[in-house]
Amino acid sequence: MRLVFDRGTLLLADLGDLPATLDVGQIAGVLWDPRVGGYRAPARLCYAIASELRRRGVRIAEQPCPDLTPPSEFRPLDLRPYQDAALAAWRQRGRRGLVVLPTGSGKTHIALQAIATTRTPCLCLVPTRALLAQWATALGAIWDGPIGQFGDGVRAVGPVTLATFASAYRHMASIGDKFGLLIVDEAHHFGQGSLDEALEMSIAPLRLGLTATPPAPGPAARRLTTLVGPVVFERTIGDLAGRYLAPLERITWRLTLDPDERREYDALWEVYRRARRAFEGNHLAGAWEDFLHQAARTDEGRRGIAAWRRARRILAFPRRKREALSLLLGRHRAQRTLVFVADNETAYRVAREHLVMPLTCDIGRAERQQALARFRAGALRALVSAQVLNEGLDVPDAEVGIVVAGRLGGREHVQRVGRLLRPGDGKRALIYELVVDQSSEVSQAERRWEGLASRERSAA
Amino acid sequence: MLPESDLPLRLIEERAFIDFLGPQDEPWLRVLLAEMARFEGRRRRELAERLSEPLPCEAPYFKRRAATRALLRLWRGASTGGATPPGPARPAAPRSAELRAELFAAAAASEAPTAFILDQTARQRGITPAALIEALFADLPGERPVRAPDPPPTPAEAALRTNLAIAQAVLMRASRVELRVEGGVRPIVRLAKLRGLLCTITDGDLGEPARPVLEISGPFSLFRHTLLYGRALAELLPHLAWCARFELRAACALRGRLAKVSVGSGDPIFPAAPPALFDSRLEERFAADIARLAPDWDVIREPEPVRAGATLIFPDFLLRHRIHPERRVLVEIVGFWTPQYLATKLEKLRQAELPPCVLCVDQDRACAPGDLPAGLPVVPFRRRVDAAAVLLQAERLTAGSGSKAA
Repeated sequence: MRLVFDRGTLLLADLGDLPATLDVGQIAGVLWDPRVGGYRAPARLCYAIASELRRRGVRIAEQPCPDLTPPSEFRPLDLRPYQDAALAAWRQRGRRGLVVLPTGSGKTHIALQAIATTRTPCLCLVPTRALLAQWATALGAIWDGPIGQFGDGVRAVGPVTLATFASAYRHMASIGDKFGLLIVDEAHHFGQGSLDEALEMSIAPLRLGLTATPPAPGPAARRLTTLVGPVVFERTIGDLAGRYLAPLERITWRLTLDPDERREYDALWEVYRRARRAFEGNHLAGAWEDFLHQAARTDEGRRGIAAWRRARRILAFPRRKREALSLLLGRHRAQRTLVFVADNETAYRVAREHLVMPLTCDIGRAERQQALARFRAGALRALVSAQVLNEGLDVPDAEVGIVVAGRLGGREHVQRVGRLLRPGDGKRALIYELVVDQSSEVSQAERRWEGLASRERSAA
Repeated sequence: MLPESDLPLRLIEERAFIDFLGPQDEPWLRVLLAEMARFEGRRRRELAERLSEPLPCEAPYFKRRAATRALLRLWRGASTGGATPPGPARPAAPRSAELRAELFAAAAASEAPTAFILDQTARQRGITPAALIEALFADLPGERPVRAPDPPPTPAEAALRTNLAIAQAVLMRASRVELRVEGGVRPIVRLAKLRGLLCTITDGDLGEPARPVLEISGPFSLFRHTLLYGRALAELLPHLAWCARFELRAACALRGRLAKVSVGSGDPIFPAAPPALFDSRLEERFAADIARLAPDWDVIREPEPVRAGATLIFPDFLLRHRIHPERRVLVEIVGFWTPQYLATKLEKLRQAELPPCVLCVDQDRACAPGDLPAGLPVVPFRRRVDAAAVLLQAERLTAGSGSKAA
């Protein structure tokens, strides 16, 4: 029998010499494909199926196998004790599983050591193009071999290849048989269905997922366990703060709207509330998405959505926040500061008013990298961002964070806080939150910190 | 592609019906286009903000949202003529990225007030502080000036383009499609295969004219409803407009469930560019030569596919005698070949009881040693197909049927 990799799946060919008692269709994951008149399975089951067939006495003449030269001759890497422990736990669980560690605790180091010790062709999946460059730099520090890349306009396979999630999704059908190890950075993006095929179409039996924010128990967590493996190691900010992460101090500034802003905000909020009440009258406990969908069907609902958008725009950067930001930037002139805002438009407003370099998805990769390098070197004292800094990007030594506004909730906040926690000599990270009193921001801010605290509690 | 929340759809039981835009939508489309024209030269972000709010006239909500997105995409595709700040003509604008680097570095290095740093940097550049602020992000997508495509679409064209965007967005949520198609099948199958899709023939009404039923899907579609092939499936749609008749059916994941969707000939969809008439210069020359040499024969380019066993065969030409239409010969121009391949192919055609077929074989593209099979209707050629030789074969192969008819 032959197992053939076919565009992200496995075709079982030459079934003529099978034992009469064996029904291939009974093997888990294998289905009859009437389109080609053969049996087919997802590529991720390649090794499991081969092993099952061998167990049943089938001789396999051919099976997909990574044929790239395995990477070797890595320079040694010093790991912290918890990083070593994470790697050991992963090995013990058959080199499949998730490592959960806070941002800034050096998850990439664990992955690099896994690549160096596993010595099989490896594909590293990262969420953004910016992270491709960051991983290439980290890899280049311990290895001189050719680094492949899929994403940011490049399509090249190497013994260690980096790919954005989107590129992996598009190209796994052609490269899924080339790697034995999959590293999945920010693995919490998977398990929700939309990108999962990227992991299903790879034959790689060894898988390491990295995240600071694993999905809560439920279907997504179960799916992630199937695709990458179970959580094999977890530490929280509380576990590592002090020695390996900088201690964190949270300061919330409760601000007011100016009378004219307040009047406009209240009027808009009332329009929104009317639409919301009308919706809730018919849909008990309806989700936000349901509200958007239903509201779009009526004039009152549409006015409600438009009013909610405008109200949110007022909260994003009212006068008091502008003044507070100005004050804080002046107070922390000597420290590296990250300013987090709700959207790109506000990022540009902050940039224009306070002359702070913005990092947004619109700014090109080269310019962003240049800005980060200058921030590291101290030539830029502050950066403002809506989402680019939320996840993964290595921003060492930022001491102060100013959350002007946020949009995405608890997970976003955990990632944002993590930007400040990379340890430094005597460093104490400060995070300011600017919250408009008597507005939806008050409860949002509480929920954000509750999210962080609950992660702490669940880990404890 | 349009997000699901913007699609004008009606879901009734297990079926989804697309609300296509039509002539009744042209009045508000005209207003929408006029609104977009008002923002010519202003920032794209401002236009997007404006269009997120209602038009000054009645417009169906979902259709308007879909049209807005489709037209904004068309506008973005129009040349902006470089990233210059909006407003009246200015002296050559400095590069925004350079300005940013310079201004923010100056701000980090100095404790002076913002206005002073702005003024100083602007003076070094020979512009005013206001122009400096204006040019600071002028290169970013949202800050680029709005430029309408030339010529701008009419309301009718805008409706067709929106309909295409809607139908494609629906098909993006399909895992496989079933296609009943007549005329122009070959480019569709070719495009599907190029996109890595599987094309299989399912039972359909293969009468006369042949109307094959194709099922197009991806390898992974076997395991579950995946959106992996949605983009490739959606790409087929504008090309179907060039088929004589088609009906496409698909199950699409819409609003949390699988709904059956059907699109067919007559649905008002903006077509793709017309397919090339000939695959190559070689075929084009052959068609011209044989048309000139054989005035009694109709030369039909890419006739309907013919079924041979479980597969479809797509001949390049059909030669049909004008007076005796039962005298028909298929002509196929073969690229790379081996003698074994040619013999097998002709045998397969013979067994399928199809009209006789003449194979034109490029002598420079033999992939295995060996002579051309003797006694078979094969016309060898180098660089140019000998139309006279093909005609001779056609006459010979159909001589019997012609005399019978006579």
